[in-house]
Amino acid sequence: MPTTRSSRTHSVPTDTIIRLTNCLVPVENRLVPGTLLINSTTGLIISPQDVFYDSKIQPTSTIDLHGRAVVPGFLDVQINGAYGFDFSDASKTDEEYSRGLKEVNRQFVSTGVTSYCPTITSQKNEVYHKVLPHLGPSPRNPTLGSSSLGAHVEGPFLHPERNGIHPPHVLQKPSEGLKSLETVYGKQNLESNVKVITLAPELLPPSSLPSLPSVLASKNIILSAGHSTATFSQLVNSNISMVTHLFNAMHQPHQREPGIPGAVLADVSVSKPRFFGIIADGVHVHPANIKWAYHSNPSGLCLVTDAMALLGLEDGEYVWGNGESIQKTGGVLTLKGTTKIAGSCVTLLECLNNFMRFTNTGIAEAVKTVTKTPARMLGLEGVKGCLEPGADADLCVLEVRGDGSVGVEEVWKFGVKVWEKNGVRRRREGVMEVSRL
Amino acid sequence: MRLIIRDTKTQTSQWVAEYIIKRINEFQPTKDRPFVLGLPTGSSPEQIYANLVDFYRNGKVSFKHVVTFNMDEYVGIPTSHAQSYHSFMFKNLFQHVDIPPHQIHLPSLENYAEYDNLIAGYGGIELFLCGVGSDGHIAFNEPGSSLASKTRVKTLTSDTIAANARFFDGNINSVPKSAVTVGVKTVMDAKEVILIADGRGKAEAVRQAVEGSISHMWTVTALQMHPKFIMAVDEAATEELRVKTVKYFKDIEGASTILGNPKPKL
Repeated sequence: MPTTRSSRTHSVPTDTIIRLTNCLVPVENRLVPGTLLINSTTGLIISPQDVFYDSKIQPTSTIDLHGRAVVPGFLDVQINGAYGFDFSDASKTDEEYSRGLKEVNRQFVSTGVTSYCPTITSQKNEVYHKVLPHLGPSPRNPTLGSSSLGAHVEGPFLHPERNGIHPPHVLQKPSEGLKSLETVYGKQNLESNVKVITLAPELLPPSSLPSLPSVLASKNIILSAGHSTATFSQLVNSNISMVTHLFNAMHQPHQREPGIPGAVLADVSVSKPRFFGIIADGVHVHPANIKWAYHSNPSGLCLVTDAMALLGLEDGEYVWGNGESIQKTGGVLTLKGTTKIAGSCVTLLECLNNFMRFTNTGIAEAVKTVTKTPARMLGLEGVKGCLEPGADADLCVLEVRGDGSVGVEEVWKFGVKVWEKNGVRRRREGVMEVSRL
Repeated sequence: MRLIIRDTKTQTSQWVAEYIIKRINEFQPTKDRPFVLGLPTGSSPEQIYANLVDFYRNGKVSFKHVVTFNMDEYVGIPTSHAQSYHSFMFKNLFQHVDIPPHQIHLPSLENYAEYDNLIAGYGGIELFLCGVGSDGHIAFNEPGSSLASKTRVKTLTSDTIAANARFFDGNINSVPKSAVTVGVKTVMDAKEVILIADGRGKAEAVRQAVEGSISHMWTVTALQMHPKFIMAVDEAATEELRVKTVKYFKDIEGASTILGNPKPKL
């Protein structure tokens, strides 16, 4: 699947180069004073050293960030919708869907999420064929707001015993391996629009299981285990290196059967990294579980919201895509008439603040769970989720509050400031023209 | 020559950094009359650069009117490569101080033929800081290099390539096979030279430099002919010297202090 990359990586003298100074940047697990150079024309972070030695490439402007922190833009690899728009909603016309998606991307960027994987829950085949063509990687254009990295299809190959709120009647068995996937999602969608597939690996025919992850990896698709009854050894032997919303919709660790959590948290090495999404809304997973999961496999934890279209709407009863009702009570969503949790309603920023509180980690360390780690999981290391030269200049400027929590004050996309918090005084006095470094 | 001996590398580095800023400040450089400084890379000068950065941050020195010439650079890796000497200098010194980029010079395939003329155009190097290899090489002037050499391209010996492989993920094939380097004569032409050496690994090179005869097999020995030459070493680097030699230079340093030629304060 093509990921939209910059057409050129080197800077030329006519480019717009911006120097962010007087800011704190994450280095290892600390925030340290630093400066950041970005090329607004190519949309990339550039090396201060290259600019220093090349007299022809010089910053056109310098922006003083007054001691605030600059971190990579956040990545959310599991989000079902926002601002009333459900990515799985196939009842709209193509035009309505496209317009709604554009509007969501523009609003969504204000939460600090600069790239994400729009997530489709279990649906009938025709829904995938209809919506997936809209959800492939977004064009490289900062005015579009948050961009898709390709869709996350969560289902329909899920285990009926661990369906969560996915309607049982649409679940399927991938009896023919890759061919089943092609039939359900569409061959073209697998080539260009799908980035992550959540399925229950125990449902796959034994003949296709060991090779499927690498076959999909050759299409840059990540296979993730979820809504599954897989045992420890089933997951270890599956070659699958990602787990969807750890602890939710799977067997819990047992003293003689550690299950999926045991595999993803303990069967890890440098040559065999394992990743997992986890919902840190404080409801889906107990804070203590988040803490020990993180300490067991710190470089594998990706915070996800699993947020639904109801994010940002009033409390009340809402009808889900397949006709079932969901009750929204504050940040809690339940399937009406039950206590089953039905997705979340939190922003990734709230998850990040929760995570820092639950695990007692600092900003520089915690922010990796929404930047560097999901980028590595998606195979986008060095492109997204970091501040290294050559990476996309997707940035969040963070306010650090007295209690240690953070707020998003500015969001930059491809080297352009696309959002600024209301009430933040435009610090024009901090912008000055400089002729040289 | 003067031989400055301190117990540890940290103390030696501190002495050298203080000496450099004392020389810059006494020179009172201006835009039209800059202080011209020759610079090395490698593990020996790292602490000296860190000290210089500290002095700059504390307002004890400015590099605004300092012009620098580096000794050498690899050929065949981009200047942005993590192991290039451009990267080393940017990381350890240049990015932290107020030196204007156009006052910085590193030799390259493009400029090496003019490098010595460029230096002469600034009135020569006022102070050249040097390291020394365990085989006595200065810059990339390895054993057998002409003691009258100027800036040029040199093929690296397999010993040097093997020694540098540790900086290239242990892969000998990734180490550049040649470098651009100032010549022995380029260093000799500086008005003053400080050579630093630390650790037991440099002890034989230090012995050759201080007690040996002038020979192109130990290019460092050429500096015996330099009118203003200081060696700053730690105790470990003196281990191959005769006790008498060490005592002699320690006595001289003590006496020169009494005679009102004060050493920089430690």
